[in-house]
Amino acid sequence: MGQLFAVEVVYRGVFQKTLAKNITRDIVLAAHNEGKLGISFGRYGDAPERNGIPAKSFAIVANDEQTLEEGMAQYEPKHVDLTVVLDDTLSKGAESWAWYGLQPVHHALKPGATLIVISQEDAPALLKNIHRRDKAYKLAILKGITSFSGMWVFKDDHTDVRVLGAIASALPQLFSLNSVLQFINEKLKSELKVISARNAFDRFSTVDVPAGQGNPEELFKFELPGWDHMRDGVSIKGQPQGGPYADPVTGEVGGFRPARNELFKKYSTRSMRPVVNFSTCTKCTLCGLNCPDASFDITPDGHYDANLESCCGCGICEEVCPVKECVTMVNESEFHDNKSQWEAFRKDKDAYLNWLETTIAKASPIEKRSHGFRYRGQYQEQVPEALEVARKG
Amino acid sequence: MTTSTFVDEKPTQNLEPFKGVKKVPHEEYYTSGHRTCQGCESAQIMKLMAKAAGPRTIVLGSTGCMYVANTSYYSTPWGVPWMHTQLGSSGSAALGAAAAFRVQMRKGAMKDEPINVIAFCGDGGGADMGLGAISATMCHPDYNLLILMYDNESYANTDIQISGASPYGVNTSFSTPGKVKRIMNHRWKKNMAPLIAVGHPTVKYVSTISTSYPLQAMNSVRKALSVGGPTFIHCLNPCPKGWDFDPVLSFQLGELAVNTGIFPLYEIENGKLKMYGKSKDIVNGRFKRLPVRDYLLKQGRFAHFIEEDIEYFQSKIDETWDKWLVPGIIPLQKDVEAE
Repeated sequence: MGQLFAVEVVYRGVFQKTLAKNITRDIVLAAHNEGKLGISFGRYGDAPERNGIPAKSFAIVANDEQTLEEGMAQYEPKHVDLTVVLDDTLSKGAESWAWYGLQPVHHALKPGATLIVISQEDAPALLKNIHRRDKAYKLAILKGITSFSGMWVFKDDHTDVRVLGAIASALPQLFSLNSVLQFINEKLKSELKVISARNAFDRFSTVDVPAGQGNPEELFKFELPGWDHMRDGVSIKGQPQGGPYADPVTGEVGGFRPARNELFKKYSTRSMRPVVNFSTCTKCTLCGLNCPDASFDITPDGHYDANLESCCGCGICEEVCPVKECVTMVNESEFHDNKSQWEAFRKDKDAYLNWLETTIAKASPIEKRSHGFRYRGQYQEQVPEALEVARKG
Repeated sequence: MTTSTFVDEKPTQNLEPFKGVKKVPHEEYYTSGHRTCQGCESAQIMKLMAKAAGPRTIVLGSTGCMYVANTSYYSTPWGVPWMHTQLGSSGSAALGAAAAFRVQMRKGAMKDEPINVIAFCGDGGGADMGLGAISATMCHPDYNLLILMYDNESYANTDIQISGASPYGVNTSFSTPGKVKRIMNHRWKKNMAPLIAVGHPTVKYVSTISTSYPLQAMNSVRKALSVGGPTFIHCLNPCPKGWDFDPVLSFQLGELAVNTGIFPLYEIENGKLKMYGKSKDIVNGRFKRLPVRDYLLKQGRFAHFIEEDIEYFQSKIDETWDKWLVPGIIPLQKDVEAE
C-alpha cells in the first residue's frame, strides 16, 4: 500500500459549507500538482445540513489509485493526518457521525499530528475549551476572523488559501507551498491570494500539547439502545410535560421549566449565547414565546432564563426583546459552562451584574457581527478588516 | 339554513382564543430536542401549533424538514402523539386518522371525546405533491381536521430545491442564476390559501398566518380546530438556511413579508373574508406598503437581482393589491364581462 493522507475540516454547517467544500477540493487539486490522486466529500451524517451544526468535510489523497480506493472504503476516515477547525467555538466539541453524542474536536487526529484552528485567541485560551486527550498533538493557530457566509453568497476573505498555505507547512508530505501557489495561479488567478497563502505558510508555528492537557469536561454522551431494546412499531417515547421548579435561595416553587429531550442536546450548534440582564427585564414573555427551541425556563419570579443545554444561539430573543439592554448575544468562546444565569443572579445579584457588564463589553455590536447574510454589500465591507487581521498574523 | 341529515358532524373542543401573550399557557407539546437550524421558523410554528392545540391532539407530519429534523436519532421534541406520513399524503393521513378515531369511539374502543387531528406538510408536500390528497380531504364535511402548511418556499430538507411556492427569480439548487440567464425561476408563487378556500366550499375555515405574529397564529389554529370540518392554514416561515440570511433576522423577515404586501394575513370563516394585522391596515389605507426591496435585499437568495428584477417584483406585488378582485388574495380582474 502506498502513502495515504486524510485531512478533515470541521466547520459550522451552512455558514461555512462553501468554504469547507472549497478547502477540501483545493487540497486535492494542490496535491494533484505533485502527481497525487484524491477525492473530497462532505459527511453524509450531517445531511440535511443545518445552520451552525458542527459538520465535517474530508479530503483523501494517495500516491496511487489502489491506495485511494482503500482509503475511500469507509464512510468517514477513522484517523486523520490533519484537522482544520474553521471556527474556534467548535473547540467545545463536534457531533459524531449520525448522533451518539459529542466528540472532542481532535477525535480522529493521529497521535503527534497537527490541529489547525482559525482564531483570534492564543493557545492557553483555546485549551480551556479543547478537550484533553491521552496522546500528545500539535496545536497551530491561524490568526483570523471566523469566516461565516451562507448557502448562496460566499464571503471571499482568503480563508481558503490561508488554510492551504498552513497545510503546506504542517504536512509537507501532502504538498509543498509551490504546489499550492501553482494551484492558486492556475485556478484562482489571484496575486493577492498568492500573498495570503505564502504569509500563512511563512508564519505557521505550532505549540506542543502534551497528553492530558486541556479541558477536563466529560463530553455529552448517552447509551444507544440495541435492537432488542427498541419499542414495537418503530416508535419512540415522546417528551413528558414540564412543570414549576424551586428558587435556589428562597426554595419557593413556581414558574415553568419545559421538559426537554434528554438524548439530543443542541448546544454544540451555538457560536454565540444570549446573556440576560434580569434587572432590566420587564417579563414581557416575548423571548420565550418566539424561541423556536423552547429554550427559556420561566423562573419562579417570572423571569425568562435561557436554558443553555438546549439554546442553539440564533439570536431571535435579542431581536424581539423590547428592552434595549436586556438580552445580548455574546461570543460563545467567553463561556466554559452551561449553568443557569438566573441562579447566579439569584445567589449574588451584584456579582452577577458585574460579570454581566464585563461579559457584554466583549460582545460585538449586532451590526458588526458576522453570522450570515444581513444585507447586500456587507461581505465586501467586512473583507478588508479580515485581510488586515490575517496580514498582522 | 337547512342542514343535511346525511352529513354527520361531531363536536369539536371549542378552544377559546388566548386573550394576550401573558395569558398563553406555559405547557409545551413541542419542546426542545429537534435538529433544526438556528432560527428555524418552521420549528417555531410547530411549537405554536402544538401549544395552541393542547394535549388532546394527534399530529401527522409528511416528509420534509419537520419530519427529518424532528425524528432522526431520538431527537424528538413532540409531547403529543406524532406520526410520519408520506410526502404527498398529509390530506389522506388527516382524513384517515379522523375516520379511525370515529370508528374506535363508536365501537367503544376509546373514550368518545373530541380529539384534534392536525396534519402538517411543507410547501413541497402541500402545494406540490400533496395537493390532490388535500383537495380530496377538503371536500369531506364530516370530519374535523386541520391541515397546516408550513411554507419555507423550497424543498428545504433536501438542500433547497425549487417548489411551487418558491418566489419569482429566487436562487435555489434548481434555479442557480447564470451569466446568460439571471432569472431561472419564472414562476409566480402558488396562491395556496385562496385555492383551498375558493375551490372547496365545504371548508369553513382557511387562514394565512406568520410566526412573527405568534398570538394571532395560535388563535388561528384554535379557531380552525373549533370551527370544525376540514380546515386549512398556510403559514409563511422564513428559512435562514435556504433564504440565506443571519438567523437573527428570522422574525424581522416574517414581519417584512407582511408589511411589504408580499404575504397578506387573512382568515376566511364560512365564506367571510377578514384581513387582520398590518394587512388590514394596508387595505384600509392606514399603512403604506413598504417597498419589496427592503425584504429582498436582506436575503442572499435574491443577491443576484438587479434593479430591473426588483422593479418587476414590485410591479407584480402592486398588481395584486391594485388590480385583483380581492386585494392580495383573488387574482381575478375587477371588471366582470357579462353578456
